[in-house]
Amino acid sequence: MNLQVSREDLLKQLGYKEPPQPRLQDMVFEMLGLLDGLVEPRLAFKGIQDEKDLPPFLTGAVLKYAGAATLGPKLENRVKDLFDEGKAAEAYILDTAGSIAMTKAGDILWDDIRQDAEAKGFKKGLRRTPGCRGIDLETQQWIFGKLADLDLGIKLTTSYMMFPRKSLSFLARFGGRLKGAFSCKGCPQYTDCTLRG
Amino acid sequence: MDIIKEIYDAVMEGKVEDAASRVQQALNSKAEVNDILNKGLIAAMDVVGEKFGEGELFIPQVLWSANAMKAGLALLKPHFSSTDRTEKGTVVIGTAKGDIHDIGKNLVAIMLEGSGYKVADLGVEVPPERFIEKALEVKADIIAMSALLTTTMPSMGEVVSLLKAKKLPFKVIVGGAPVDQAFCQEIGADAYGMDAADGLRKIKGLLGR
Repeated sequence: MNLQVSREDLLKQLGYKEPPQPRLQDMVFEMLGLLDGLVEPRLAFKGIQDEKDLPPFLTGAVLKYAGAATLGPKLENRVKDLFDEGKAAEAYILDTAGSIAMTKAGDILWDDIRQDAEAKGFKKGLRRTPGCRGIDLETQQWIFGKLADLDLGIKLTTSYMMFPRKSLSFLARFGGRLKGAFSCKGCPQYTDCTLRG
Repeated sequence: MDIIKEIYDAVMEGKVEDAASRVQQALNSKAEVNDILNKGLIAAMDVVGEKFGEGELFIPQVLWSANAMKAGLALLKPHFSSTDRTEKGTVVIGTAKGDIHDIGKNLVAIMLEGSGYKVADLGVEVPPERFIEKALEVKADIIAMSALLTTTMPSMGEVVSLLKAKKLPFKVIVGGAPVDQAFCQEIGADAYGMDAADGLRKIKGLLGR
């Protein structure tokens, strides 16, 4: 699985439009080298056959999926260690690189689901993550219930957050009519969201 | 070059070892401790904060500067008498109950320390009562809370309600991705920090220092 993060993408994410001072470029290079050995990605999805007790987002869909991905615990443990060692800039850069890798893992998962759907005759679909407007965070419990027999290594807290933190989950739907199951407008992440179709 | 200017430059450039060695050099040469602090360390960090707010500097550089300031400040502290106030104020900081995200909170804590505030960091998933216990324990000026999700935001309102019920004087600042000025007003917090730099500015404003 290619989760390679480029130096250019990382610098852009950190806010730099122009190449920064050499010292910072060296640190970015060093953290990207570290990232490679810390990421242990796992991802999986399942087709949902149920027609009852579905999260509203999936209601009426012809194909329904639940999926999740994680980078594993090593990355965030190293970020914590760096903070504890007083290397906050390194910690922040490594964490940011991890966030980019996490987005890539989510995109790979989404591609896998789309390929599965395409083989069944569906090209266009939607994915939404719990916590987005219209999909309660509690839906995490439903998703991870469906994925329980897959060894993803993701645990939910009592407030439905995922450990490791560099994890994501989503529901996906193809076909059928979407009847006001959610609205993206008004979501705090509306302008930055990478999940909007 | 003037040693105070060298301290200023070391903090501006985020050079931790340079900042520490220049502060030590200044102390050895009997420079005024208050000048080292105010004209060297704090003056530089103020400019770093401004440049960050204006988009001229980014978080990694601010963190370097904050570390440089901390290194210098650690050398200065023994030279202040017990009645001198070397910190600008005390801030209790943590992530709201139910929320495990701490990167943003950690950055704010480091920037606060780097700007001369004493910080008591309670970590993540902090229950409302814990914020108040700690604020009483450390005689805090400010309680700063962060949340990444709408579902964990209400716990910040509980802190404000508890403070009002107990008639405690601590100021409250809130921040985090889903938080905005309207939410801040709705729960009766004193300030909303849009980002780390804004949070720092608002804390300075709340304390008048």
